[in-house]
Amino acid sequence: MSFISSTLAVVSKDVRSELRTRYAMNALLMFVVTSVATILFALREDEVSTEVLSGMFWVVIFFTAMSGLSRIFVSEEERGTTMTLKLVASPSVVYFGKLIFNCGLTLTLSSAVTILYLVVFPTFIIKSMVVFASTVFLGSLGFAATATIIAAIIAKANTKGTLYPVLSFPILIPLLITVMKSTTRALDGEIFNEALGEFQMLTSYLMIIIVGSYLLFDYIWKE
Amino acid sequence: MYEFFNQNQMYIVLVVTLLIWLGIVWYLIRIDKKIKKIEKRLEKDK
Amino acid sequence: MSVVKYSSIAFITFAILAGIAIPMVPQPQSWLEFPIIPGLEDKARNIFFHVPMAWTSVLGFIFALFYGFRYLLTKDFDYDIKSVSSAGLGMMFCILATITGSIWAKFSWGSFWNWDPRETSIFILLLIYGAYFALRSALGSDEVRARLAAVYSIIAGMTAPYYIFITPRIVGGLHPGAKGDTTGSMPLAQLHMTLNMGFVFFIGIIGFSLFFLWLLNLRIRIAQIEYQISKNKM
Repeated sequence: MSFISSTLAVVSKDVRSELRTRYAMNALLMFVVTSVATILFALREDEVSTEVLSGMFWVVIFFTAMSGLSRIFVSEEERGTTMTLKLVASPSVVYFGKLIFNCGLTLTLSSAVTILYLVVFPTFIIKSMVVFASTVFLGSLGFAATATIIAAIIAKANTKGTLYPVLSFPILIPLLITVMKSTTRALDGEIFNEALGEFQMLTSYLMIIIVGSYLLFDYIWKE
Repeated sequence: MYEFFNQNQMYIVLVVTLLIWLGIVWYLIRIDKKIKKIEKRLEKDK
Repeated sequence: MSVVKYSSIAFITFAILAGIAIPMVPQPQSWLEFPIIPGLEDKARNIFFHVPMAWTSVLGFIFALFYGFRYLLTKDFDYDIKSVSSAGLGMMFCILATITGSIWAKFSWGSFWNWDPRETSIFILLLIYGAYFALRSALGSDEVRARLAAVYSIIAGMTAPYYIFITPRIVGGLHPGAKGDTTGSMPLAQLHMTLNMGFVFFIGIIGFSLFFLWLLNLRIRIAQIEYQISKNKM
């Protein structure tokens, strides 16, 4: 099979098993709802600045991602299907398949959070839709890329649950700082050109993480 | 001597720091010698 | 190796002597006088010790990354020993650098921690070291542990340019070289360091780097002996 069709096969396998059990989707959505509800209780009717709003937006996404995205590799270990996957597909196919799946998951997640925020917080007004959409898109992909490679690393570890955020956080900090700043700009209504520096950073981060992960994945995957 | 040190108190800091530092260095040199001894013994036992 | 040991002792002793003993005067005339930097005065002497320690903590990470990389290429376990030794040493320097930086910050800028970009980056380095050791302790088999630890250090190393170079430029901060600063990004330019101060500072950096190499050498030898003994027992 060609590279693209094998990769899509991995993606569709994950999507189908996901739709069958709906385990990850439900867990993530419930996590999002509970976090937003908690924030809502804390804030009541208070007016918060755009920086705080954008920070909270990404905090919810970060913690939801940390609780849910490691599943792509951990579930393989738990179900014992890792060996089969290693026999059937080449490492790059596995990596890109899982990456695409995680990207889809993260984009769905951030869209859900956006919609929820728009509904629940009256002050969450997106004045510059282009900046916001690009930020959320690039930021989610960056999250997915880092989440995928770190998930692959901890798949064999003993204390997976707590280890995952510990390993991911230092790598994600540059992404978080930039993306929060950029979202603040979007909420404030700045035009695209002013956020150009942040977009350059987000794109370069995405490229670097994906290229590095692709090169290193062989060493993680093969015994 | 008291007068000198009371006037230029920075030199008190200097003396203290040097003492601490040279103490650490002496300790490290001791460790280095001990490790060399153990390495020689391992080489002999081979 | 003895060259490294004795010159590191000499250099650091020199830095301590020169850094502490040379007086600070308003108009330095000779080589044995430092200028008084407004706002910092005597506290500026910290620069001879705090900055080299922060530098060696980064050096420790670079060595850990390099040895990890060599391990991945050769699968020689000795490189994993070297990688872990370097990371441990780097972590120690990182903790010291964070503490000394925090103390200096309290007296220069008012509070112990400010989330200034450079403070954030040393904090991130601390987190990376912590994550590295957390990962190692969660993996049982020697081979898997060496492999995955090396991979993680490489991935973490890839993000390093971001928080060392880029974020300080984008987000303004307190350290010299941040966005709001108009006087240039080198500490030499910003702190109005004169040539003799720069010289002492430079000697300090080299001295601490050599000192790091000596300590690393000691740690590696101890770890290799332990490994040798555990192999002999089997």
